[in-house]
Amino acid sequence: MLEQILAASIVLTTPILLAAMGGLVNRQSGIVNIGLEAKILAGALVAVIVSSATGSWLLASLAALAVGAVIGWLFALTITRGNANMIVAGLGLNVLVAGAIGFILSWQYGTSGTLRLPDVALLPHVLPAAVAEIPVLGRMLAALDPLTVLAWASVAALPFVLADTRFGLRLRATGNAPQVARALGLDARRIQEATTAIAGGFSGLAGAHLALTSIGLFNEGLSGGRGFIALAAFYFGRDRPWPTAMVCLMFGFLDATQIRLQTAGLPPKLIGMIPYAMVLAALILASVRNKKRKAA
Amino acid sequence: MTHKNDHAGVVLGADRLSKAYGPVQANRDISLALGAGEIHAIVGENGAGKSTLMRMLQGMERPDSGSVILDGAPVSLSGPAEAMARGIGMVHQEFMLAPDLTLLQNLILGSEPMTAGPLRRIDWAAAEADGKRLAAKIGVEVDWHVPAGSAPVHIQQFTEIIRLLRRGARILILDEPTAVLAPPQVEELFALLRLLRADGASMLFISHKIPEVTALADRVTVIRRGEVVFAAAIADTSGEEIAGHIVGTEAPPPPVPLAARAGRTGPVLALDRLCTGKHQHVRALRDISLTLHAGEIVGLAGVAGNGQSELAEVLAGLRTAETGRIALNGADLTLADTAARRAAGLGYISADRRYEGLCLPATIALNTMAGSQRRPPVARGPFLRPAALLQGARARLDHLKVRYGRLGDPVSSLSGGNQQKLVFAREIATDPAVLVVSQPTRGVDLNGIATIHRLLGDYRAAGGAVLLMSEELDEIMALSDRILVMADGAIVGELPRGASMQEIGRMMVMGADHG
Repeated sequence: MLEQILAASIVLTTPILLAAMGGLVNRQSGIVNIGLEAKILAGALVAVIVSSATGSWLLASLAALAVGAVIGWLFALTITRGNANMIVAGLGLNVLVAGAIGFILSWQYGTSGTLRLPDVALLPHVLPAAVAEIPVLGRMLAALDPLTVLAWASVAALPFVLADTRFGLRLRATGNAPQVARALGLDARRIQEATTAIAGGFSGLAGAHLALTSIGLFNEGLSGGRGFIALAAFYFGRDRPWPTAMVCLMFGFLDATQIRLQTAGLPPKLIGMIPYAMVLAALILASVRNKKRKAA
Repeated sequence: MTHKNDHAGVVLGADRLSKAYGPVQANRDISLALGAGEIHAIVGENGAGKSTLMRMLQGMERPDSGSVILDGAPVSLSGPAEAMARGIGMVHQEFMLAPDLTLLQNLILGSEPMTAGPLRRIDWAAAEADGKRLAAKIGVEVDWHVPAGSAPVHIQQFTEIIRLLRRGARILILDEPTAVLAPPQVEELFALLRLLRADGASMLFISHKIPEVTALADRVTVIRRGEVVFAAAIADTSGEEIAGHIVGTEAPPPPVPLAARAGRTGPVLALDRLCTGKHQHVRALRDISLTLHAGEIVGLAGVAGNGQSELAEVLAGLRTAETGRIALNGADLTLADTAARRAAGLGYISADRRYEGLCLPATIALNTMAGSQRRPPVARGPFLRPAALLQGARARLDHLKVRYGRLGDPVSSLSGGNQQKLVFAREIATDPAVLVVSQPTRGVDLNGIATIHRLLGDYRAAGGAVLLMSEELDEIMALSDRILVMADGAIVGELPRGASMQEIGRMMVMGADHG
């Protein structure tokens, strides 16, 4: 039972974690990206299509990454060059992408809501099946897929990237004081465009993970608000990689137990509310804490 | 064309620069020569054209005619980035530091030292060594690992200066660098600047504090109304001579004839030994006592930063006095909030029109009626009556002949002069006993200035009392019944109407010298 929950938690955490890491970098450079959801969805669709066409999970993931990054970059242009309000533009992006996907599904595939394609290659497991025999952690280790490994590798790498690389320092300066970055000759807009593309790429991978983990199909409700849960995670984690990852893990764990609780007979709709209620609680808590910090 | 040799030995200079914004000639034929290893002070009142000149020297503005001289030859700079690349660094009044990053991160931002090898990262050890070396040279202790926003102001400024040096600046333009510093820190800054001068750096030092100029600079150029009116080596001039040139020697504009007073008389506002708390060992206000009578305008003259704006804030209720008493028509307002002060009959015209005087994105109607929204006729119980609000706004604006498009337009659509007239219309609508007026004509065109002066005169004639703070000495002289001079947060003297500029200027400078 515990082993199963651990394994499910780690897998369910991955898409949230990927999107949150991208969004965190984006927010550190000064852009609150509420369009993560759209890029997750687009990434999932592209992953299913490419995986079916090529039979390669790797190409599918790369395609999802590329599409997410391009959407993110275009989204950034509306903010940096078009002076759009980032919240309104982000909301608009979510609606636009959802609409475009519905259109593509009915136009190209003659279906609505769900896209089933033949021969979708799923994400492989990284470790040999034999590791499942290890007590407690075995099933979790056996469930590891390449994108999950990548997600946690990014958590480990990001503190270094943000603190010790030129790009990291410059993007933080841009987020903290854009006029200072400009005064020092940095191109604040290009930095923000780059981080938004990164957030898009990570969200695209999150979509690929959702689509290619076990089901191998695309559904319009597949992202299920994970872009917003990721947003809550890095808000609560105050844009720091490890604390944010821990919040993501908590959401993943909730997601996993929720499935358990449903099978245990609790009303599924009520259980389904839990992650979102948690997001709300997390945001309230985070803002209360910020207020205290300012007062101190 | 000027022959090249005319500029030999000039590190940075201006050759007959002119720049106009619309009808306003901000700079006219300004020439200036900064030599190597020299501190050259540029002085003049607010609006004299100093900042326009600096912008042209940095390439942020293109001159209409004339040219910028760099290293003896005319250049055309594309902007601050190119100016920096060519060794011209600017120390802004508002520091260019990211507040959440540490001082060290700010120091290297934009030109980070990197480690060698395959995994190139920022070489923090080298960065810190750099910072320590520069700090040691100047004899300043810096904790490089605190966030810039929580470092003391003079350390922030120091970081900004050595960041420019680190990036290869050999010419520094310092825009009123002492405005934010306490006196002991000013001494430290001057020691630093002298050290840099000894190392061969050249500096343009923008200021309007005469004692600082005579203490620090090698040469001085005085700008008045966009033109160079005086230039000399410091050794050949004196603070009084500089002060005289700043305020001008020509006769002041004809004073607004002070009409006979028709309304109230007698004392209305009494300040008794007001002091503000100590901030970095300095009190912004020290023992301010004064009495303001109905039907008089009292001008507060002083070099900027000697407590005038703090006094305005204390009177308006935006800053609290530590000791002392404020009484308006006998009622104690020392601890009253802004609403209570207004209700008691105090009007306030803030120097910061854009943020305190107005809410720029809000409509003309709302800005005009703000403060009157809780009482009839605008309010009926808890509800606003939009028709009454518009009607009230129209009446107030028409009364002062403010020109506007529609009442629903944002107030930012008005010109500076009309914005200020709107503020006046709002503040005098409730017939206050006292108006505290700070920099009433800042950013206002000539016609607007005349109107605002007339409004102040009318208000006085009707029995109003005005406390007028202005950095424009002309304005104080033209409007005031008597003039109080402030220096170092205290009132150092009183002069009657008709006192000469030289007299006032001397008192402003001497007061500052005694501090």
